[in-house]
Amino acid sequence: MGTTFLPVASIVSSAGGRDGWMIVLPAFILGIPYGLMVLSLLSQFPNKNLLQVSEIVFGKGIGKLIGVLYILITGYFGGLLLGQVGDIYERSIMPLTPISLFYLGTIILVFYLCKSGIEVFARFSEVIFPLIILALILNLTLSISRIEPGVLLPILSEGVMPLFWGGLKVAPFVMEYILFMAGILAFLPTDMKEIGQLRREVWRAVFLVGILDMFVAFTQILVFGPFETTRIVYGLLVLGKMVEVSRTVAGVESLFLGVWLGALVIKISAFLFTVVWGLETVMNLKGLKWEIAVCAVFMGIAFGFVRGSVLISEISFVDNYLILPFTTIWILGLWGTARWKKGKNIRGN
Amino acid sequence: MRSWMKMLKELTLRPKVHQVRKSPAYSFDEDLAKPVSGQKAKEILSKSSDIVFREFYLQGKESIPCLMAGVDGLVDKNLLDQFVLKPLMVDLPGRRELAQLTLSNVVDSTIQYLLPGLEIKKISKLSDAINAILSGDAVIFFGESKEAIVIGARGWANAGINEPVAESVIKGPHEGFTETLRINTSLLRRKIKHPSLRLISLKLGELTNTDIVVTYVDKVASPDIVSEVLKRLSTIKMDGVLESGYIEEMIEDFPYSPFPQIAYTERPDVLAGKLLEGKVGIMVDGTPIVLVVPAILTQFLNVNEDYYQRAMTAVLFRFVRYIGAFIAVTAPSVYIAVTTFHQEIIPTDLLMSISAGREGVPFPALLEALLMTIVLEILQEAGLRLPRPIGQTIGIVGALIIGDAAVKASLVSPLMVIVIGITAVSSYAIPYYDLSLAVRLTRFPLMILAGSLGFFGVAVGFYAGLIHLLSLRSFGVPYMSPIAPMRIRSLLQDTFVRAPWWAMKRRPQLLEIENPQSGGKGKE
Amino acid sequence: METRRHQKVNRIAALILIVCLLFLPGCWGKREVEELAPLIGVGFDLGKKPGTFLITMQLAKPKQGGGESAAKIEDRTFSVEVASAREATEMVYKISSRIPFMGSLKVIVIGEGAAKAGFTDIIDFAQRFSEFRRTMYLVLTKGKAQTLLNIKLRDGELPAMSIKNHMEQGNNLSTFPTVRLGHYLTIIGSQSTAPILPVVETIKSGEDGIEYNNAKEGKELHIQGSGVLRGDHLVDYLTDKETKGYMWLENNVQNCLINTMDDKDKVSFGGQVLKSKTRYKLFDNNGVIGLQYQIQASISVDEVMGVKQQLSEPEWVDLMNQAETSYAKVIQEECEMSIKKERDLSLDFLGIGRLIDERDPSYWKTIKDQWEEKIADFPLNLNVQVSVHHSGMSSSSSTTND
Repeated sequence: MGTTFLPVASIVSSAGGRDGWMIVLPAFILGIPYGLMVLSLLSQFPNKNLLQVSEIVFGKGIGKLIGVLYILITGYFGGLLLGQVGDIYERSIMPLTPISLFYLGTIILVFYLCKSGIEVFARFSEVIFPLIILALILNLTLSISRIEPGVLLPILSEGVMPLFWGGLKVAPFVMEYILFMAGILAFLPTDMKEIGQLRREVWRAVFLVGILDMFVAFTQILVFGPFETTRIVYGLLVLGKMVEVSRTVAGVESLFLGVWLGALVIKISAFLFTVVWGLETVMNLKGLKWEIAVCAVFMGIAFGFVRGSVLISEISFVDNYLILPFTTIWILGLWGTARWKKGKNIRGN
Repeated sequence: MRSWMKMLKELTLRPKVHQVRKSPAYSFDEDLAKPVSGQKAKEILSKSSDIVFREFYLQGKESIPCLMAGVDGLVDKNLLDQFVLKPLMVDLPGRRELAQLTLSNVVDSTIQYLLPGLEIKKISKLSDAINAILSGDAVIFFGESKEAIVIGARGWANAGINEPVAESVIKGPHEGFTETLRINTSLLRRKIKHPSLRLISLKLGELTNTDIVVTYVDKVASPDIVSEVLKRLSTIKMDGVLESGYIEEMIEDFPYSPFPQIAYTERPDVLAGKLLEGKVGIMVDGTPIVLVVPAILTQFLNVNEDYYQRAMTAVLFRFVRYIGAFIAVTAPSVYIAVTTFHQEIIPTDLLMSISAGREGVPFPALLEALLMTIVLEILQEAGLRLPRPIGQTIGIVGALIIGDAAVKASLVSPLMVIVIGITAVSSYAIPYYDLSLAVRLTRFPLMILAGSLGFFGVAVGFYAGLIHLLSLRSFGVPYMSPIAPMRIRSLLQDTFVRAPWWAMKRRPQLLEIENPQSGGKGKE
Repeated sequence: METRRHQKVNRIAALILIVCLLFLPGCWGKREVEELAPLIGVGFDLGKKPGTFLITMQLAKPKQGGGESAAKIEDRTFSVEVASAREATEMVYKISSRIPFMGSLKVIVIGEGAAKAGFTDIIDFAQRFSEFRRTMYLVLTKGKAQTLLNIKLRDGELPAMSIKNHMEQGNNLSTFPTVRLGHYLTIIGSQSTAPILPVVETIKSGEDGIEYNNAKEGKELHIQGSGVLRGDHLVDYLTDKETKGYMWLENNVQNCLINTMDDKDKVSFGGQVLKSKTRYKLFDNNGVIGLQYQIQASISVDEVMGVKQQLSEPEWVDLMNQAETSYAKVIQEECEMSIKKERDLSLDFLGIGRLIDERDPSYWKTIKDQWEEKIADFPLNLNVQVSVHHSGMSSSSSTTND
């Protein structure tokens, strides 16, 4: 799910140095209890998304407040991600093409995807995901010849503490996923057997993405060394530039970029979905014109962050200081309160 | 995990007993073991329109009602009229034995005194009777008698059945459908000799009164799809139906999609194969083209010959076909994107020679590619309509003028000619003409996108196409299944690869048939 | 009703998509391939004015070859004196009728002057600008990069092209390190190791014992030896032998040729390294921590000289053992020269610091800060093991010397 492999290596190596790759998977596993909490809420409140659940559990006022926060955060982040598409393309392969075209092309795709419905969206991710994995594996294996020996050693020379802080930086990635889950909940099947299936899916997805991200970070540190990895903005793209197939085909990053574009489209669509659902549940705003309005807002945000370096720091700011605390507190609080209420009800009866 | 291992085992190890694709249980299975009965036979068989029943009284005796059954198109009608019905119905005076005909001796007496034919057999089991009928013999049932007579009256049309030009095979039957509906149904009957093969007749076209037959295998085809097909057919109101293409456009789910959503075939073996997979065929009188619904994308890249060849070679050829289709779609646009936006991909030496080759070419790469593609389309179209002897000239003109002279005159670069050539050849690797047309159509927008936005444009176009394909449904079946929604078993069994026959334990399920009525729109 | 509306919306969406993407296109950032002049090599020298660089850009101008033959490459090399690399491209834009295309850059040549003064600032462009690859090669030259790139090679090839081709097959000989930009940056990032770059020189006929037919005009290039840098400042050159020693110690040798011709009077051997591996171990000798190199190489014997008579089988086996020791001796000598150089320079181009760090991080932390002083007497051990795999098609000498 998503595009976490683009910045992941840079983030973890800046926090954890040459051992940074080790924290990726544990940080992703942090997402599993959250996923399971969300699922348990699903079995308790079938066919309701978490915003509706919050209204039931916390009452109308707080529920609405959470809903508005949810919309603001996901909408803002979706816009930032759209900006990232432009940034990536402009930075790496097509510097002379107007950035607005990247925004436009992507937002049209996103809109078309969302218009086709959640089912098509699910299938789209199903098709793109193997592509992403294939591209990643190709990218990683083809850069094996560029590996610098010994850069990973010594292991854990700086102790474990930097790793912990690095983990905090990676955790938001998984929280983005949970945020989307919170919205999609209303569309998930609810009988017990299917929930068991979903539980397995959560495990599988988290592990798969976690392991892939780990490998991405691992390979980048191997190829660039920890110092360079921190410095390179989108390490994976540079890795793509360095790919050489038997000295003839070199620098196929523009092909890889096509796949990353697919990943970003999925992610932005996911956020578009969450915003649209949020609007629907909280303010009862529904229909085509609101979807177009959200797309326009995304475009607006993207145009607000034409400066790449500001964009990147803004994304990490939203990740670390909005998405992470919001999701952590919200889901935990919701789950706790729902459990407590349920327990009280049983005792009361 | 365990289920995975099991599946892997199933697909790789050959079992001792090959039970592959079990036939479903039918309500009449029990009856088949019972003694013959005209009533039962009629019950079982009358659901198909190609089976004819003839009721009469033996020698005019009302005490002995008879029922003759046979498959229209398979039995020799002349023979039955002259040598069966005539002697049985017309009273032959003066024979003592005939005067004493009763239900108990009627079978023997008929064989001994009345039927002149050579190939005549007495049977007592219903299953034998049904088999005989479906194999092209005629069967006479006598009232409540526990025995019946099989008359070898097979006589079907062999003249006029030729190998279809558009679907030729190397290994496999060389027969094709004809323009006559009755011959076509008989060809199909000869492939599937089971009462569950249903043929339902309709008439369409207010002026042409064209006969239509909807055919499927009961319990294998989804009843939802069958009823949806019948429903959609019944809504067609037009004055004339001259070809199945008329119907195709009237019943497909997404009329504005370039992709074919209904498959077609001219081959009885292909149709029979598809019916056994649970699809529904629509035969139209006057054309050898039979429509097959529902269709999925990958099906258009697989041909029936895959099933006749050994699995390993079939896998290779499928792979070649998929690659061909991919190249046919992307080659010109990739060329454009690479030469105008992403030169860094090209190895330096190649860059030099492309650059040198393009020197003096007056058009930008996009225009050059568009021009060449259009010329290619013109060549293809021109060659298609010309009488065969002149058709060869087109090839020579194309090769000489487009290939050689144009390069020498610096109108196009040599590499462009190669790219266009590869594209053309690749698009011929697509076995279904309809899909290759769709590919040719999608090439143009992709090229323009590539020319304006490079690989970003190609990616956007590609994803837009993908989203479009993913949102298509053909009669309720997602067009991209089993890729998405992904079904590992179908993928491994019969999509990009073909598993050996012994590994195809289960019939490919037509996936997630939801609301075939909704015209393809899934749940929201 | 709902579905029909959705369908309609869908169609509208598709239509917007098609219209937008088909009819909006302009020519954003588009460059036709024949408008480009691929940049093959770049040379950096110091400019006359302080703070400026003399940047030499070697562009190729592909021309249609005569008749059906492949492309002919025309040389267009410009040198400009500028303060930044971007300014250099601007200057070249002004001169050249084609757009200089950076994506094909393969070689950066750094002139002696620029190397001594430091070139980080100018090389920043090469790692930042998106068209460049981090896989391009860095080479040093004694003298000016400009002259190197401007020479006319005898076969008419562009000097930069020639260097690139030469570097690509560098592994076959392993006499010089192949340094790519990415590798250089990683080494710089490790902080303790000093980067090393191969040296390209022109040679005239008669120099270095190489002679060639002078009928054709032009010169030849050769790559031999290397330069050691402190960060981005050239400190000293390594000779051919020292470079070879560096290659051995760095575990960089794949296939190299080796001979023992220096041994007078004795039987001498020539051969090719088939496989080699260098291992590192820290040893602790009564509290003195040192590094042990273990070089294992498999070498063939392709040439035997100085054998005076036919040898019997056991004698031949003896001779092969002798070959192993002579080979080991040569390798040992090369390595020792290289280590001596490292000690003389007090500059860790062998990457010993990193090796210690990898194996004993806590010890490294204690010596890290005064590492450069410590190099001079840091204990190093060499252990060379050679195994001769075969002696080619013959198991005796060709001369019988009756």
